[in-house]
Amino acid sequence: MRRYPRWPIHMALLTVSVLMLLPFYWVVKTSVSGENIFAYPPSIIPKSPHLFYYVDAWYYIPFARYFVNSIVVSSIAVVANVILNAMAGYALTRDFVGKPFVLFLFLSCMMIPFQATIIPAYLITGRLGLLDSFWGLALPQCSTIVCIFVFKGSFDAVPRSLVDAARIDGLSEWRIIWKVMMPLAKSAIATNVILAFVWSWNNFMWPLIVTRSADMQTLPLGLARFLSYQEDTTGALYAFCVMVLAPGVLLFLLAQREFIQGLTSGATKG
Amino acid sequence: MRIRSALPIWCFLAPSLVIFLLYRVLPLAWNLVLSFQDWSPLKAARWVGLSQYEEMLFDDEVFWQALWNTVFFIASAPIAVLLALGLALLVNADIRGRNIYRTIIFISYPLMTVAVAIIWRWMFEERVGLINYVARSLDLVTQPIPFLNSFQWALPSVIAANTWQMLGFYMIILLTGLQNIPENLYEAAAIDGASARRRFWRITVPLLKPSLFLCFVVGMLNSFTSFDLVYVMTGGGPGRATELLVTYIYKLGFVQTRFDYAAAVTVFYFALLVAITWSANRLSGGNAGAVERD
Amino acid sequence: MRDDFDRPLWRRLVVNRFVVVLGAIALAIVGWNAYVASYSGGRVTGRVTDTAGEPVAGASVTLWVLNFTTYVEKARGVTDADGRFLIINRDSHNLQLAAEKAGVGRSRRVPVRLYFRAQDVELREPLVLVPTSQGGS
Repeated sequence: MRRYPRWPIHMALLTVSVLMLLPFYWVVKTSVSGENIFAYPPSIIPKSPHLFYYVDAWYYIPFARYFVNSIVVSSIAVVANVILNAMAGYALTRDFVGKPFVLFLFLSCMMIPFQATIIPAYLITGRLGLLDSFWGLALPQCSTIVCIFVFKGSFDAVPRSLVDAARIDGLSEWRIIWKVMMPLAKSAIATNVILAFVWSWNNFMWPLIVTRSADMQTLPLGLARFLSYQEDTTGALYAFCVMVLAPGVLLFLLAQREFIQGLTSGATKG
Repeated sequence: MRIRSALPIWCFLAPSLVIFLLYRVLPLAWNLVLSFQDWSPLKAARWVGLSQYEEMLFDDEVFWQALWNTVFFIASAPIAVLLALGLALLVNADIRGRNIYRTIIFISYPLMTVAVAIIWRWMFEERVGLINYVARSLDLVTQPIPFLNSFQWALPSVIAANTWQMLGFYMIILLTGLQNIPENLYEAAAIDGASARRRFWRITVPLLKPSLFLCFVVGMLNSFTSFDLVYVMTGGGPGRATELLVTYIYKLGFVQTRFDYAAAVTVFYFALLVAITWSANRLSGGNAGAVERD
Repeated sequence: MRDDFDRPLWRRLVVNRFVVVLGAIALAIVGWNAYVASYSGGRVTGRVTDTAGEPVAGASVTLWVLNFTTYVEKARGVTDADGRFLIINRDSHNLQLAAEKAGVGRSRRVPVRLYFRAQDVELREPLVLVPTSQGGS
């Protein structure tokens, strides 16, 4: 390997890292000291930090309620995703009449972004009577094509001899999935869980369209609502931001590998 | 292929298929039908042919402004991809702590876009924002720039915030692509006397084509559908300076409740998406930018 | 995912990063709630002194709470012989206190911010009554 000096690379990457982390630091600093909302010039180190903006954020906006709503919707989406995608992924590993058509259908559905479907999706959800409900919020997110193909890839890697042996033993197709395939597809399950959770947790547009009453709102909606109430005149808004970002950052740090793996194994929703 | 065992397969496919038919395929068809009608939830539908489209193309300035803004947004995606390519090359180098750098640069991607929008909205603030502070400290400007309130700076500011969020994602894709290039290609070229620049342009770039294509497509799709960021950061304003097609569709449908006109704009929106993706595919040599084996 | 089948199942389920981190967070939440429950009597206590540092008895203390954007008077108390007062507050986490006594003076409005509603809090600094005949406030 040709030797080249390492320190310019470190310098460049350090600069970029600082630029990428600067917004985080600034938000945390403001949420802790509340300066720089009206004062100028801003100071680098917070002068008299206190946690009272977090108390304000907790009480001004029903954070607990929104958090629970988000958790419920995301849980429904994650569980439904794992089950439905595993089933569909398994079905795609078998040959059957009409398989090319189904594959074509799935691949072309990947091309249809959610934003191109909002008006009819709203009307359909209304007809189903699911407006302003947890199921209405979760239903469009209960299956994603990227995750189906993640499962398919994982199931394709299971040796056929194992599956055939199970079939000879008389296991039904359903039990084959759960007893044979799934235990060997742990990373696919993990990827599925992480991606489905993050996508439904961060989803803003669909809850904005579907919720009517204030206490069915999810966390992103709550944050946007706080902004429209208080403008940016209080450190509580930034405390709320930090409270909203913290679970996302924590989850990402815990499940980095699975997340990156899931993203790089195919094109994504973005 | 036993017919007996085909039924369970369809049963397995059925729930997912139902969801996609219901929430992807049916909406496309419904949009198309609705765009030729004059309908509101309170009255019956009436066929009006192309009049929604006529209104959209000839009478609606907001539509054209939104279209222009969307195209501008999309055209800025390649800049972010090129920046990410540079970052990927740096992170791919044989240095200690590259995983830490990778994590730090990527961490902005899985965050809630609403929160990112709020943070950047405040960083671009005219009186107390950080960007203005830095610009004034470095003597780049004498007066603070009202980024999110000026007609020229609003859209670039939103694009900057979007770039901050997407940079890590592009970098990860390109990094994976870089790491899939076999080392012996570089070694063979070095032995043959190729300089670093030639190695880059003759080996790295061609073999990265699929990853670059993927980044461009995802970037384009992301710019096309960037509702959260624009809605929270500027709401489409000032005036309509940051109005994208997607925010315009939302406002038409759910603020003005003109579902039929919104459907027409959505049909155009989707057709534009397909056209851009198809032409990107053609421009990159077909086959989704795959590398040709010779 | 480490698939080492040597470790017993329960160890694999328990000693992994998710369970440890989420378990620690759950414990912290439970601990915090216990703390809050045990200190939420709503007792706001403090002392009132004059400029010489002597406790003032019979001063009236007023409590304001934040209502949207302004402070609204909520409760009053009177100091006892030692200059101590006790007011019950269960409504808000953002308070202001001031004391006054005719003939002695009045104190400035002191902001008090709590970590949770109905927190028991004792003012560290006494409310100092400053004579108001200087014609200012």
